[in-house]
Amino acid sequence: MATWKKITLAVAILAAAAALYGWYLYHKKPQDVKQAQSQFEVTAPDLTTAFNADESAATVKYVDKVVSVSGKIKDIKIEPGGAATVFLDSGDPMAAVTCSFYDTEAATVKKLATGQQVTIKGLCTGKLMDVVLNKCSVVP
Amino acid sequence: MKRVVFTVYILFMSVIATSAQKYFTKTGNVSFEAGTALEDIVATNKTAASVLDAATGQVEFAVLIKGFEFRRALMQEHFNENYMESSKYPKASFKGMIINIQAVSFQKAGNYPITVKGTLEIHGVKKEITTNGSLKVSGTTIQALAKFPVIISDYKIAIPGIVRDKIAKTATVSVNCSYAVLK
Repeated sequence: MATWKKITLAVAILAAAAALYGWYLYHKKPQDVKQAQSQFEVTAPDLTTAFNADESAATVKYVDKVVSVSGKIKDIKIEPGGAATVFLDSGDPMAAVTCSFYDTEAATVKKLATGQQVTIKGLCTGKLMDVVLNKCSVVP
Repeated sequence: MKRVVFTVYILFMSVIATSAQKYFTKTGNVSFEAGTALEDIVATNKTAASVLDAATGQVEFAVLIKGFEFRRALMQEHFNENYMESSKYPKASFKGMIINIQAVSFQKAGNYPITVKGTLEIHGVKKEITTNGSLKVSGTTIQALAKFPVIISDYKIAIPGIVRDKIAKTATVSVNCSYAVLK
């Protein structure tokens, strides 16, 4: 095979690989937090205390991480559209942990009751009034 | 003595009355669309916090930028890291007033058109906005709906040339919040 042919072939293969990789990146779905390994395991009071004590340090530590939070259920909210949210008691009446569930998890949330002790895994997005966890599921 | 008791009673009742006139939610839905014919860009945040004071018409919203969920991972990454710089500006907020609050009867079920005026803060930039929306009163719950345009360049969000044709110049923000009485 002539050198120019080899070069053309190599370039074509590289271009195809780059295009495929680009295609893969573009269509990549957001992380499935249900399947993900949790990076932190904390109690609801400890998590809210961390954010109240030093919000920027807690943000660096927890935000964008998969966190398993255990605590007592303060309240459950299920919207007519199916979106389910569980609020975990932190001991502080002003700040709970808001856990917004995957839409597919609404049936599991319906089986929970206020006062029950649970562990919920989700992606921490920061603190507003509450510390917020998205894409939640119940850890069995 | 009687007068003191009466004054205390009035004070006490007015405290109850005012506290019963505040509504809140921690699970408000805020979404936006910024797509073009080339690309659909939609993101939803289901954990907006909001407080609405029925007596004064004062209304406040706050969302965590990282709480916006996209259908594509890369889009969400670019949104956070390049456009919104969510590590530097983690929250967006709105503080304002329902200027025709006297037209809304919180005791009577119905759908009331409202006009909201206030300050929207995105990406660390504050802007005055006015928008129309509605309040749907049914029993003790209230649903607030609004839709308004946000000109992306107004908030010093830089869109690089290579994706300029894919991202709309103006994003459409939709708000859908179900409030409960604040106890």
